[in-house]
Amino acid sequence: MDWSESVGMAVRTLSANRLRSVLTVLGIIIGNGAVIAMVGVGEGARRYATDQLQSLGTNLLFVVPGQENARRRGVEAPNTLTFEDAEAILRQVPTVDQVAPQITDSQLASYRARTTRTTLIGTTASYAPVQNFAVAAGRFFTDLDVERNSRVAVLGADLAEKLFGTKSPLGERVRFGSVSFQVIGVMEAKGAFLGSNRDDAAFIPISTMSNLIAGRRSPYGLSVGFISVSARDEESIEAAAFQITNLLRRRHKITLDDDFYIRTQKDAVAIASNVASALTIVLAATAAISLLVGGIGIMNIMLVSVTERTQEIGLRKAIGADPADILTQFLIEAVILAVVGGLLGTALGGATVILIGIYTPLETVVSLGSVLLAVSVSGGIGLIFGVVPARRAAALDPIVALRSA
Amino acid sequence: MTTVIRLEAVSKVYGQGEAEIHALRAINLVVAAGEYCAIMGASGSGKSTAMNIIGCLDRPSSGAYYLDGENVAGLSETQLAHIRNRKIGFVFQQFHLLPQLTALENVTLPLVYAGVAGRERLERAKQVLDQVGLSHRLDNRPNQLSGGQQQRVAIARAMVNQPLLLLADEPTGALDSRTSHEVMDLFAQLHSQGITIVMVTHEPDIARCSQRVIWFRDGQVIHDHLPPEEVGQVLFAL
Repeated sequence: MDWSESVGMAVRTLSANRLRSVLTVLGIIIGNGAVIAMVGVGEGARRYATDQLQSLGTNLLFVVPGQENARRRGVEAPNTLTFEDAEAILRQVPTVDQVAPQITDSQLASYRARTTRTTLIGTTASYAPVQNFAVAAGRFFTDLDVERNSRVAVLGADLAEKLFGTKSPLGERVRFGSVSFQVIGVMEAKGAFLGSNRDDAAFIPISTMSNLIAGRRSPYGLSVGFISVSARDEESIEAAAFQITNLLRRRHKITLDDDFYIRTQKDAVAIASNVASALTIVLAATAAISLLVGGIGIMNIMLVSVTERTQEIGLRKAIGADPADILTQFLIEAVILAVVGGLLGTALGGATVILIGIYTPLETVVSLGSVLLAVSVSGGIGLIFGVVPARRAAALDPIVALRSA
Repeated sequence: MTTVIRLEAVSKVYGQGEAEIHALRAINLVVAAGEYCAIMGASGSGKSTAMNIIGCLDRPSSGAYYLDGENVAGLSETQLAHIRNRKIGFVFQQFHLLPQLTALENVTLPLVYAGVAGRERLERAKQVLDQVGLSHRLDNRPNQLSGGQQQRVAIARAMVNQPLLLLADEPTGALDSRTSHEVMDLFAQLHSQGITIVMVTHEPDIARCSQRVIWFRDGQVIHDHLPPEEVGQVLFAL
């Protein structure tokens, strides 16, 4: 008996019992759909995360105070990273293009009767170019504004809308804490990312920030939250990181552990990507469990089917089917159920992924790889869970089988 | 005349120790090509066991069984399946047609396992269905056919692979007397074409259609070449 013969026969048997066949594959459909959808969403999240980070610029580095991997220790070390460090980096490191130190603080922003909590970022004029962040209306503040302690502010797109609605905020005065600022610009919208929404922030000169709102002067100078640095180009990131490390070690007179660390944009992309991949694996593994349950469902129904079709098996044996023929027949039925379930589940999962892509910012993808994997895995599940019922059928004694009327 | 069936001291024992049941006790039986035999006997007499062994559905506990000159007692399950497919046609009391298949498809089934190609299968199946007078019922499913028609489809299925031997287990047991005689006429017709027929029956009427009655009792053959006319006397004597 050849394969096309066996497949044809299995299809006839399964379609003769359509409702049962559909119910049997339901588990596989759901399991497979879940795997495809979860992998699609996870992959979408990964792309979204890396795209967002890439959009900040790939030649970006961050100099962060404190010891790497030791930020959660009980005693907080004094923050030794200063505004002066930033200036030194700009002056002395040749591979560095621009530098933007920043101090971040949470403040109430108010315009007339409207008040909202916002993230206030004190920084320098280089912030916008370093972060690849452009002004949508008005202008960003200049070096001169920083020098003069100007009380000027640039608002993030969301914050501007919260305080001003559709009205243009340019030239208006807003208060951060108890200090009044003139709005000179509004930033373009960038979207929220990994819990921080810079569209909901406001930007003011770092000098103004430290003098009037939240500056801390340590013996080393003006402490900053971190320093964003742009390298001359992507290739010089490694060199810049090395040179900055050396410079800061000299300036901070470090003999043992560094009191700062450097993150490159590439590191951040890799971390975000790893986190998203781990998420994808967890989601897919959860979904795979339902695929397994679906396989057990197939085994269950196939066992019932063998019992019900005892006479058929006996008859087939009497007219010349050998045990291998019977085994093949039942295995093929199980595999067909599983593969059809796999295909339907893939369609369902794919549709889900596409819908998620339409209604969320996630750029979801149905990869050919995950489809092939899902279908072959469900085929394999059919094969594995079909073995027990098929062996039972093949081992039936034709005499007993024919007598069971 | 060639011998189709030769059982030599065939015994069949079920169970072990205290629970041992001797279904057959060293029986000897020879059926020549072209014979038409009926096997009779009370239930538990061993006639069903004998039929299963003759049909290669079961293997003797001891003794030799030559089918068409070949000792099949020691063959594997797969080899037996092959022999059932090529040399034996089965007809059962309950027809045992597959409900999801049409009459034509049911008849092609043995050819599927014989590895005959699709088109030839259909040709041969149509031919045999024509012989049993059902060429107008090819595409009907079993539940659309009467009992007599179903049994004729089953006979066509038994004959399609041109077997040496037709084995019938109570072929009229589920039929009324009129359709029973139709089936017996068909058997007579097949017999006249030269096929060897062995059937189990408990109806003297049906046994009378054969040429030779083999009577089983307590796992032994008590009458071998009993003329069918004398069945009544034997029944009376028991």
